[in-house]
Amino acid sequence: MTKPRVAIFDFACCEGCQLQIVNLEEEILDLIGAVDVVEWREAMSEQSHEYDIAIIEGSITRPEDEKRLQIIRSRAKLLIALGACATIGGVNKLKNNFDLKEVRQCVYGKDADMPHLNTAMTKAVDEVVQVDAYIHGCPIDRKEFGLVIRALLLGKKPPIPDYPVCVECKAKENVCRYEYGEICLGPIIRAGCGARCPSNGFRCFGCRGYVDNPNVEAAREVMDKYGLTVEDLKQKMVLFGSKQEHTL
Amino acid sequence: MSAVKFTRKQFESFVSALIQSGRPVMAPQAKNGRYAFGPLAAAEEFRLDYDVTILPPKKYLLPQTETLLTYQVGGACSSVRDAEPMILLGVHPYDMVAINQMDELFRQDQYDKHYMDRRCRTTIIALDVVTPSENVFAASMGTATVKSGYDILLTVLPDGSILADAATDKGQELLDPAESTPAAEADLKARKTVWDKNEKALNKHVLECKPSYLPKLLENAYDHPVWEEKARLCYSCGSCNQVCPTCYCFDVQDQVSWDLKTGERKRCWDGCLLENFATVAGNHNFRKDRAARYRHRLYRKGKYVPGKIGGQIACVGCGRCITACTAKIANPVEVYNRLMEDTELG
Amino acid sequence: MCECCNGHKDIYLPEMATITKRRMLNGTELYLHLEMDSGKDLDYRPGQFVEVSIAGIGEAPISISSSPTQKGLELVVRNIGSLTKAIHKLQAGDKLGVRGPYGSTYPIEQAKGKDLVFICGGIGLVPQRSFIRYALDNRRDYGNITILIGTKCYTMRLFREEIALWQERKDMTVLETVDEAHDCWDGNVGVVTTLIPKIESDLPKSLISICGPPIMYKFVLMALAEADVPENNIFVNLERRMKCGVGKCGHCQINDKYVCQDGPVFRYSDLALVPEAI
Repeated sequence: MTKPRVAIFDFACCEGCQLQIVNLEEEILDLIGAVDVVEWREAMSEQSHEYDIAIIEGSITRPEDEKRLQIIRSRAKLLIALGACATIGGVNKLKNNFDLKEVRQCVYGKDADMPHLNTAMTKAVDEVVQVDAYIHGCPIDRKEFGLVIRALLLGKKPPIPDYPVCVECKAKENVCRYEYGEICLGPIIRAGCGARCPSNGFRCFGCRGYVDNPNVEAAREVMDKYGLTVEDLKQKMVLFGSKQEHTL
Repeated sequence: MSAVKFTRKQFESFVSALIQSGRPVMAPQAKNGRYAFGPLAAAEEFRLDYDVTILPPKKYLLPQTETLLTYQVGGACSSVRDAEPMILLGVHPYDMVAINQMDELFRQDQYDKHYMDRRCRTTIIALDVVTPSENVFAASMGTATVKSGYDILLTVLPDGSILADAATDKGQELLDPAESTPAAEADLKARKTVWDKNEKALNKHVLECKPSYLPKLLENAYDHPVWEEKARLCYSCGSCNQVCPTCYCFDVQDQVSWDLKTGERKRCWDGCLLENFATVAGNHNFRKDRAARYRHRLYRKGKYVPGKIGGQIACVGCGRCITACTAKIANPVEVYNRLMEDTELG
Repeated sequence: MCECCNGHKDIYLPEMATITKRRMLNGTELYLHLEMDSGKDLDYRPGQFVEVSIAGIGEAPISISSSPTQKGLELVVRNIGSLTKAIHKLQAGDKLGVRGPYGSTYPIEQAKGKDLVFICGGIGLVPQRSFIRYALDNRRDYGNITILIGTKCYTMRLFREEIALWQERKDMTVLETVDEAHDCWDGNVGVVTTLIPKIESDLPKSLISICGPPIMYKFVLMALAEADVPENNIFVNLERRMKCGVGKCGHCQINDKYVCQDGPVFRYSDLALVPEAI
């Protein structure tokens, strides 16, 4: 059996999710044993236009990026969105809360009008092309990366949880962040990270995006029970949850 | 079988001997201001006075993830049996009752060797509650004390000494080499006072009926508004399932190694509150309403599971779901009492 | 090894079976004939199901479509998820894991001497075919046999050759309909309930078996109620997520019933207090 050819591309992002793949360490040899990596700017110099699987990191923030992504999509049999920027637009979507002109002015000052600094509303990969599989998180979870890739190589639907982070947080025997008086997004955010943040003393920031059917309507009353407000909650949702379907 | 009495010092030596026996000893220890069962490294880490652990000890008998089978991809499977002898130390009565129920459920009809093998290799040292937790209602459920299932029952007596009562040969063998004094009639009487106290004290939420009435109560409560009222705030996060000592539903998934040639069939905890618990291939969800899932859990505890285990109520009053529920809607006592009120009115 | 567990087999361990025949019945339904590698036929009854698996991909409950009066095991697998997609790629000679049989059975004994009516919607024919074939192989034990078959569209009809053979037989009646009209179809058009008035057997005295998509039951049951069919003469075959097949995992539960053990075949009158069923 010939090994599937994989190409990894980055758009607007910090490239930290690719770094997680590099950080697979010994497992990266297993990955290379299972697939032929034909293009990966962060780790190798070769390039190729022929690949079966395209892994896309980063969000789409410029009109020309949309065209590039569409070309990649047309060449790939399978397209995977890698990391929060690609799966939900990520932190880059914060920009969508502001007027684009102001954003350019704020970031580039007097150079704001230079043509190469053109910018558009941030889009997740699936707002531009069809996505076949998602590997969520900021950054991604290395173990989950392996599970998703291996499932796809076997032709299986990847095992991405559709339940909230609380499931994994309880399994880790963490004390609920709400009991510390904090707002945690765990109850509405997709699990799969192993409740990484709450297990290390932080609240859930929501980097994996919402579960398919989050109960956002419950928020008002539930916040009341903890002496918190919906405004407090909304503020916590801005970082990863800006301009998304289920945002309050 | 006999009961003995340990001084605190003797008891520590007893626990140290358990640790040194080579079998892992799992016992409640402090964790972030709460308690959790974990491998015991030193006798003094064991907290006799713990109130409740975040997760029940079921995590050792039905692990969160467990390999059932190994296989060649596309080929034959072989059964995995990896259970090792283990000691569960400090199991509270309500958790002991829950384990007894799970034993029956995994043993009956189709014998679940994976669970039972682990269970048979486990020695359980139960412990009467010293400090009631904030949400415990075991007294309401008749589980403030326990009479069976354990190999040894420990009770901290009012004078601070510890009574150890062996119920099985396995338990007796552990007690025999330990330095102790035989329990006197007065010690057994003192234990009775502890039991009597716990039968009253472990009742932070008071169920307004006998637990045995619950199946009857639920017969006419299926369309009661309480399900919708409570479930309105439900995040479907399954926290109540995760922390419940009697929840045992599981999912099974295949995982493969990087060579795509070998793999493992694993079972992991699942929960009936989770959105897609009853979804079948083709995406039809047979229990898609939050309220229906919310109701299902309380029916399982109060009616459905009891139907499988001779009427024993499958809520043991540990109160963990009450604490774990972010939306604060999980309290079974609140729901059952509400149904009681309306039944009486009706 | 713990002594009390000796002598118990692993209820989750599949046996291997070999695909001896395969063919597509329509665009999505694959017919499989299997033989157990042990050489022994599974000891099953009409109505039961097996857990079918490909190690590495997964496991799923599949109704048995053959009758224990025949050799081997026949299944029909719809291409709908990861596992079934992989099963569709298998060829004769390839292996599958099989656990079971599990679940309740059609009332083959109690039905003796009675007229039988089968009401099938889409792939609802698949499990009922087990009982139909069993009854045909023990023809003298049963009265009139009437089969109503409703299919969404002409191209999705299952077991066409076999149905044609049934239609030629003088000792049974087979009525077919499709929901959507089609140029190649000159038979009945309409949902399966439209065939119910055409049944010649004395309905209230017949034993009636129903299987089809969830939406179908309500309408068929209403029509049967109007025809004064007592609920204890009606049998339904329910689909749920029978993940473990052995009454442990909880996924297939409908109220206090486990579809994998109490079902999949239920006497309708036993579901009176089971609101989640239909």
